[in-house]
Amino acid sequence: MTTPAQAVHAFLDALARRDVDAAMAVTDSLITVTIHPFVMKDQGTDVLRSVLADLVRAFPDLMISVSRVITTGDVVTALFKVEGTQAAGYAGAINTEKHLDIDQAWRFVITDGLITEVAAYWCQAQLYRRLAVKRYDQIAIA
Amino acid sequence: MTEVTQRPRTAESAAGVVAGFFERYGAHDVEGMTDLCSMNADISCVPVELWGKQRVLRGDGKVRTVGKPLWAGLIDSFPDLSVTVHTIAGNDEGEVVAQVDIEGTQQRPWGLITPAGRHYREPHLFVFQVGTDLLIDSITAYWNDASISQQLGHHEVD
Repeated sequence: MTTPAQAVHAFLDALARRDVDAAMAVTDSLITVTIHPFVMKDQGTDVLRSVLADLVRAFPDLMISVSRVITTGDVVTALFKVEGTQAAGYAGAINTEKHLDIDQAWRFVITDGLITEVAAYWCQAQLYRRLAVKRYDQIAIA
Repeated sequence: MTEVTQRPRTAESAAGVVAGFFERYGAHDVEGMTDLCSMNADISCVPVELWGKQRVLRGDGKVRTVGKPLWAGLIDSFPDLSVTVHTIAGNDEGEVVAQVDIEGTQQRPWGLITPAGRHYREPHLFVFQVGTDLLIDSITAYWNDASISQQLGHHEVD
């Protein structure tokens, strides 16, 4: 039986390899996805797949450095740094080939070895600052 | 004054300390929040960074020198500041994770944002380490500062 921590490690390891399919393999088909910086709350694997695919496409040299994994029952919280060099538009920001490094926290709920909920927290101000965005109401203008 | 308790640290008691911390936050009791932390407790407010020409100041340091003025300043700028706790979960190692919404109406300057009487509400994730003495040894907080800025009518990425 896969433990909650093992499921999350499998997810993060796959994301670190930029293998979206492998990351999605440990998620439930009805997963609830909350990406706070995108003001996104939705359900289903397509939603999360799209979030991960956008990230991997925009930062093809993506690196995930996990600093801490906290298990509290069926809930696992992972703290990690996302790094990469922008190679395509991301979150509305055009590609200026800037380097990104953002500390993030993702809270997972695991049921029967599969991730059934994920909530992601990071600061979009830090992200836009690194991608040379000047104004929130003109994100595509660098 | 630091409180000393004889209760053993369990997942429940550690989570209880954190629940008490947020009760005091909601009551604007900064001294009380600080009292629940060990004398040398660390804090990392991950989104806080002020970019200067040659250096970046970050929201990392000690509860008593970084956290306390930050909380007091926030309450001063948002006098109706309120805290809504959604989940608190701990483990026997004293690690506690809390999902919390913080909201308030701006009445005084906050950072580079001039007051316009606007209201914000923002989800936060807090990670605490509670020691065996049931005092908080570290706090790490995540939120989206861009969302707060935009809700307050400030559209520049500072």
